[in-house]
Amino acid sequence: MTVWGKRSLLPASNIKERETKLANKKLKLALSGAAIFALLLTGCTQEASEDAGATSSAASGGNTDTGETTEVTATAPAPFDGTVKIAVVENSGAGDYFQQFRNGATQQLEAMGVEFEIYDAQADNAKQATDMETAIGSGVDGIIVRHGNSDTMCPLINDALDKGIPVVIYDVEISDCAPRAIETSQSDFDLAETVLTQMAADMGTGINVGYVNVFGIAPLDRRHVIWEEFKTANDWNEKFFVGKFTNSVATDNAQLVDAALKANSDVTAIFAPYDEFTKGVVSAIEQNGMEGKVAAYGIDISNADIEVMTAENSPWKATAATDPNAIGAAVVRTMLLHLAGELDENEYQFPGVLVTQDFLKDNGVANMDDLRSVLPALGLSEVMAADWIPVVTF
Amino acid sequence: MSDRVAQMEKRAEIKNRIQDGLVKYGFIAVTIGLFSWFALTEETFRQPSTLFSMLKFTSVVAIVGLGVTFTMVVGGLDLSVGSVAGLAVTVSAMMMVIYNLTGFFSGVMVLVAGAVVGAVNAFLIVWLKIPDLLATLGMMFIVMGLKLLPVDGQSVSSKMILRDGSVAPGKFTEGFRAIDRAMVGPIPLPVVIWLVLTILAWFLLTRTRYGRVMYAVGANPEAAKLSGIRVEWYRFSAYVISGLFAATGGLILASRIGQGDISAGNSLLLDAVAVALVGTSVLGIGKPNAWGTALGALLIGIVITGLTIKGFPYYAQDVSKGLVLVLALIFSFTLSRKKARFVPAT
Repeated sequence: MTVWGKRSLLPASNIKERETKLANKKLKLALSGAAIFALLLTGCTQEASEDAGATSSAASGGNTDTGETTEVTATAPAPFDGTVKIAVVENSGAGDYFQQFRNGATQQLEAMGVEFEIYDAQADNAKQATDMETAIGSGVDGIIVRHGNSDTMCPLINDALDKGIPVVIYDVEISDCAPRAIETSQSDFDLAETVLTQMAADMGTGINVGYVNVFGIAPLDRRHVIWEEFKTANDWNEKFFVGKFTNSVATDNAQLVDAALKANSDVTAIFAPYDEFTKGVVSAIEQNGMEGKVAAYGIDISNADIEVMTAENSPWKATAATDPNAIGAAVVRTMLLHLAGELDENEYQFPGVLVTQDFLKDNGVANMDDLRSVLPALGLSEVMAADWIPVVTF
Repeated sequence: MSDRVAQMEKRAEIKNRIQDGLVKYGFIAVTIGLFSWFALTEETFRQPSTLFSMLKFTSVVAIVGLGVTFTMVVGGLDLSVGSVAGLAVTVSAMMMVIYNLTGFFSGVMVLVAGAVVGAVNAFLIVWLKIPDLLATLGMMFIVMGLKLLPVDGQSVSSKMILRDGSVAPGKFTEGFRAIDRAMVGPIPLPVVIWLVLTILAWFLLTRTRYGRVMYAVGANPEAAKLSGIRVEWYRFSAYVISGLFAATGGLILASRIGQGDISAGNSLLLDAVAVALVGTSVLGIGKPNAWGTALGALLIGIVITGLTIKGFPYYAQDVSKGLVLVLALIFSFTLSRKKARFVPAT
């Protein structure tokens, strides 16, 4: 600014020179900026053009699990004799689950050697809608939709089906609004039943229990149905029912359960059908020094959960779980079978497995890898398998 | 001697012309360049359906960005636009799902809500003399929280259980869902709305006295005041317009989602401000303008869609968005010999 201000004090030729110099400088700056921009873009291009999968593995970070692949014993049927392209339209929220699911799906897609595109809306429902439109327009042979609002996705899923593109859904409630799509989910009824059977066996009937859950989230609503059944069947007396779904679920629910436990110290077991809830329950029990008195039962498992469950005096007695990596791969296999015309039904559920604290301790399980090796059922190797699919198991 | 001076002058002249050319057409060249690159390398990208869904996706950010442009013209900035769009989603869901009202009435209420927030913003800024950034930042939080109050912080969806234990009676009407899904010929309706609003904003800002005064107010409020302009009124109107545009963007968003999604609109603020800023560099205008904002949104839309199709993860897209913004700012600040002006008056 000051330079321009002094303009009138300088002879004309001088101004020109200064202007030229300045312009030169600015030009250089801009050009180097543009060059950096171009470099960055081309740098990225090479990575992407080598292999579409490279980006997805980069996206899931370094700590991903690598699955084992079975040998194929038969030639793949049509359309796998030609090029097949599949789009995965995801809606990730926070948490490891989504990364693990994508990791499993990606490895299965790569093992089968199909082309694929992964769209991730990152919890932005409007973006997922646009991604779905792009996927439909891009001429793929099949679309996998993972999570999302049924209200948002249903009309688009029907659009895809109308255009003759098969759609496989994971964990979106669509049986009413898009019955022609193939619906897959982890069996929440099964998960709840598995762990509640264990709770009934451990604790017996007629006890005082606490319950942590919220309404309005599809998988949790399904788990709730089973809870009601078990509560009635075992004559459990529900002393409190709390729960809150926030960005920091474990911490916020610890507060709620803490208050509820202080008011109801006669409770002997708490069911919290989501691992973040269960972690909140565990810390509330510990805050009140009730480790020996109150038992916690949860659903889902992760490395962090295993650590909590195997800690000394941990009140978390049992959980029921699936492996998101294996589920991701199984959903992809559902699409492969569907494209080959080998599916008979429209709805598939992937079963859960019981994991008790004793089992973890007896087998010296410290993380998910250990758990997978002692509990092969988690890998879903028999689910959605065929002799022409190289099945990826974890 | 005079030969040398003449030569130098000639060289300086050429450099200046290159520089001016770069400032004027550099941005458009980058847009066309990137578009061509994606179109040539990706079959998916050049399909009309992809291009239309890209325009549709961009329309929301662009419309909200147009509102931000108005506040930038009067020398301010509206940080509450993202939460106003989110408010629009919640309000329309409450109207239709919980109170079972018609789609048209819900749409009108959404626009009213947007205008009210804009008016409160303006009140804080113009009469309570709170700097723009701070006032709208405060409103951003207030609106974000306020919209969750009547719905207990939960997304509003059809058949949800209400507080009194009954099931929500309504749902998003077909007519309301059509805002996003309807087509005008081959063009999706949101894109048409975007185009119409851009023309309207362009006309208002450049072809009417109102618009010229707006720019005058932004350039020098004191001078404007001294020449008898009711500065308060112009700044007030800019924030109301911004609220209305944000609500319109939210309306399209709500129609697209079809649910009272509580997280909707969260990502809009930064994108909308970015496109309005990028827009200042288009054609070397160096100040906020309607067509610039539209083109800025288009460029960012091209980058996001292109990179998504190329399989880049979302964080690479954020990096590219940032690079586009910085590049545009280089065009308007570093290279332009006209001084760019859009620093909010704080």
